[in-house]
Amino acid sequence: MLSLTFKNLWARKWRSLMTALAVVFGIALVAGTYMLTDTTNGAFDDIFTKSNEGVDVTITSKVKVEQQDGATPAFSNRYLQTVKGVDGVKIAAGSIFSQGAILDSEGDSTGGGFAPQFIASKLPEELESLDLVGGAEPETAKEVSLDEAAAERADLKIGDRLQLVGTGRATPFRVVGLTQLGGASFGGTSIAQVLLPVAQELTGKQDEFDQISVQAESGVSPEELKTKVIEALASAARGDLRVETGAENAQRNSDDIRDSLSFLNIALLAFAGISLFVGSFVIFNVFSITVAQRTREFGMLRTLGANRRQILATVLIEGFLIGLFASIIGILVGLGLAKGLSAILSAVGADLPSKALVIAPRTIVVSLVIGIGVTLVSSLIPALRSTRVPPIAALSENVVIGGKNRIWLRSVIAAVLTVAGLGLIASVLISGTEGGDAALQMGGGAIAVVVAISIFSPQLVRPMASAIGAPLQKIGGLTGRLARENSQRNPSRTAVTAAALMIGLALISFVTIFASGINSSVTKVIDQDLKGELTLQGPGGFTPIPIKAVTEAGKIEGVQDASGISFSQVKVDGGGSKSMSSVQPDTISQVLNLEFEQGSTDDLSGLEDGQVIISEGLASQAGVGVGDNLGVLGQTGRKPELTVTAIMASGNLDLLGDLVITQNEMIRSFGVDTAFFALLKTESGEDVDTVQKRVEDDLDKSFPTVDVLNQDELKQSQQEQINGLLALIYVLLALAIVVSLVGIVVTLILSIYERTRELGMLRAVGMSRRQVKRMVRYEAVITAVLGAIAGLILGIIFAFLLGIPLESEGFVLSYPIPTLILILVLTAVAGVLAAIYPARKAAKLDVLEAVSYE
Amino acid sequence: MESTLESPSESEAPETSIVKASGVERIYGEGQAEVRALDGVDVTFEKGRYTSIMGPSGSGKSTLMHILAGLDKPTAGTIEVDGTDITRLDDGELTQLRRDKLGFVFQFFNLLPVLTAEENILLPLSIARRKPDQAWVDEVIERVGLTDRRSHRPSELSGGQQQRVAVARALVTKPAVLFADEPTGNLDSKSSEDVLQLLRGSVDEYGQTVIMVTHEPDAAAHGDRLIALRDGKLVHDAPPVSADAVIELLKTLA
Repeated sequence: MLSLTFKNLWARKWRSLMTALAVVFGIALVAGTYMLTDTTNGAFDDIFTKSNEGVDVTITSKVKVEQQDGATPAFSNRYLQTVKGVDGVKIAAGSIFSQGAILDSEGDSTGGGFAPQFIASKLPEELESLDLVGGAEPETAKEVSLDEAAAERADLKIGDRLQLVGTGRATPFRVVGLTQLGGASFGGTSIAQVLLPVAQELTGKQDEFDQISVQAESGVSPEELKTKVIEALASAARGDLRVETGAENAQRNSDDIRDSLSFLNIALLAFAGISLFVGSFVIFNVFSITVAQRTREFGMLRTLGANRRQILATVLIEGFLIGLFASIIGILVGLGLAKGLSAILSAVGADLPSKALVIAPRTIVVSLVIGIGVTLVSSLIPALRSTRVPPIAALSENVVIGGKNRIWLRSVIAAVLTVAGLGLIASVLISGTEGGDAALQMGGGAIAVVVAISIFSPQLVRPMASAIGAPLQKIGGLTGRLARENSQRNPSRTAVTAAALMIGLALISFVTIFASGINSSVTKVIDQDLKGELTLQGPGGFTPIPIKAVTEAGKIEGVQDASGISFSQVKVDGGGSKSMSSVQPDTISQVLNLEFEQGSTDDLSGLEDGQVIISEGLASQAGVGVGDNLGVLGQTGRKPELTVTAIMASGNLDLLGDLVITQNEMIRSFGVDTAFFALLKTESGEDVDTVQKRVEDDLDKSFPTVDVLNQDELKQSQQEQINGLLALIYVLLALAIVVSLVGIVVTLILSIYERTRELGMLRAVGMSRRQVKRMVRYEAVITAVLGAIAGLILGIIFAFLLGIPLESEGFVLSYPIPTLILILVLTAVAGVLAAIYPARKAAKLDVLEAVSYE
Repeated sequence: MESTLESPSESEAPETSIVKASGVERIYGEGQAEVRALDGVDVTFEKGRYTSIMGPSGSGKSTLMHILAGLDKPTAGTIEVDGTDITRLDDGELTQLRRDKLGFVFQFFNLLPVLTAEENILLPLSIARRKPDQAWVDEVIERVGLTDRRSHRPSELSGGQQQRVAVARALVTKPAVLFADEPTGNLDSKSSEDVLQLLRGSVDEYGQTVIMVTHEPDAAAHGDRLIALRDGKLVHDAPPVSADAVIELLKTLA
């Protein structure tokens, strides 16, 4: 029996190959993702370990509140003296390693996208982590060394000039050396190294360090030294400092990176899951059709004495072998994909360090288990159906297996699943659960609904295919008519094929609608609530701008007010981690329109240090009202009690976060001395374009990183960010779409094989090859459009449901009709492309063979 | 297209021939495995006659019909259909030939299950995008006795009815030649008789040319002429006498 399975697979090798293709893409993404993250993590481990060579103990500040950019606050340099006095310390030194901007001599940004740029200080040779690979180390306040990869990207050579921007004005430097961190390329990150006082000055950390590095005297172990340092600092540092051995520090740094990359890992695996889910539909369909076509063969085997278990085994072993083959190919494709993915990521500016690909045994095992598992599970139902073939099937022409009167059962199962799925989604929406659990529940709900639809869809196929086919019949006449009929002939086959496509398109239309909703919500806020005509922001809107730039902008002729807004992540008593903003009360009301639940704009312009305005959500969550005091813990470890003076109404997309304080309070208590962005109000009667030009010109010399945007440009820059992300999602979803197109191809080929005699007759009575091709193409288009329409409807429903709870935050759902129509048209075109090979195969059928075919 | 198929061939044969096979050979396989299915067959079919082709299994009768109808190509020799050498036609021209000049009736009916009886009958016209001559369509449907079954699907028809639909489908284009491949092979005797009467009637009433392959003496007896093959060669060519005489003939061939 086993050899029969092999022979069967071999005889249908092309079909088997196509079936395998349904799983290959998903497995490739799984394997590729693991390879990519293993490689990246390994590279970061290396980098951090090597860069801590010679460092036995590190001292950094403890993170009180996790900040969104991951930055840790600096600490006072007076602790260095304490550390130096510890017994067993050979050498200790403080250093700066802070985010900044590296510009070329023209003031244009180097590097790009999301990749961060750092300003670092030079350390004594024993403790230095950057290796000099060319030129010399910076010796004067005007010299800088740059990491080799960054220099290459920015086309800077030794002797060239560049500018560094920290929290103040841009400062010019001359490149004197090239460096490497940990002997590897540090991804897209750029590091500029200057003398310590220069770095402190640039980053606004005078008399402060980001880190103290210590080397022990010989004979003193890092652990011993660590204990001693902790003892020495205990009284002085009030527990604000973190003392680690060099190895611990390296481990923590790479763990942090691992954590932040795990998001990427999960996202990519989710897309792999989608693609595998779609693939399972394709496999289910292929096996169902194959089992139906082999009814006579199974009947014959039964007459020869095969029992049901043997029949089941032949089908399942076939599934196992296809799964095994697909997984192996998937792992190989994954190798290429890992490289492709890192290319995609670096194209959007998120370079990862490059090293030889790491292929962990776990990657292979997981890929094989998933690949074989998905194939086996998907082929189980068809395999069970094959066991119901009676021996008499060998003799008679048309034995149809499978029950017909199960429509009510299907309907009940579909209804139960739909209710359960929607219930799961609704429970998340109502309870307001957030994070991973919510995503898991939502995903589970969505899967239940999709499965329910595909169980019930055979009932929908007839009317829908008939409607979609009607125009084709008008255009194509008989070929259209036949395609329309053929697509309804085997409703469950068409339904499953279309359902596979539906999944991908539901997701595409969902993200399209949602992204367009975000875009239009942002546009609405900008139109309605931003009274300032101009906005100042850092490159790409990600990096902060110096507060001095805002002050300077306010003095420019034609600018009535310039108001800077800063952000910090804080922990609120009874509210958890929240985003807090600071404003300049005297000008904020001129540039921003804010709605209040309790209080008024006067409370905003009259906001004083020590006071706070909170969001409606936070007020009810923490149970505080106007006049109450609220303890707010900041990244510096200080925890002032702030008095609530007003409560904001939701509906501004949380433009100012959950808490609003004054800029002074922000600098004093929370250590943030840069603005995230600033809004400018032009004087009435001034031409906005002229003022914009003037502000750009005036700021360009001192603050080249600051962009001046008018409202249209602001909208555009917001949309660009969203659309960039959207493009990435499209690329990953395309994988699922390709899998479902493979499904259309295989299903068509199988149907054509089934209708060989019919096609032969059509050819015999005069149908031309062109007409045969057109008929197959039309059938593919009907199936594709069927899937597309179902997908669009589902996507719209999901977007609508998820939009409801966001409405109160000012989210407006909008339906990008032209884009959705374009998606529909593209799907129809994809259907035509999928039909190319099957149509050619159908047209090539030899008339004689077709007619005498049994 | 039309013009390439119409050539002045009338003058060649006094009694107008419609299909003419000259020196037709068909060899399958090579070397040791070589099979001579047809071994030099010369035969001419006149317009408006009903010819039956018989022979034991493997005699080459089906191969001959396939080649005459352009479904298969001979290894050597030529086939003229209505004056055109069809062995030189490409696929597009053959398709056109089938639309314009040929009709088929198969053993397994070969109706499209998704179409009604009438739609199946009109299929060749629809494929060729030709307007049906409604009077003629009605007449054909009337003639095959399916007027009250027009809108039934094949699954709702008996085997005999299905085959009558197939005959109507072949007649509706008024083909120059109607090929029937074991048209009664899958029918009971009553239905067989009906179908054979229809074919006979089409010859007598409309001057249709029919070439039929069969292994049933009763069926062969309906024709005007009986040719028989053995081992790829033509061994008998005469008007049929009676079914019993045909059985005798077959015995001598076997």
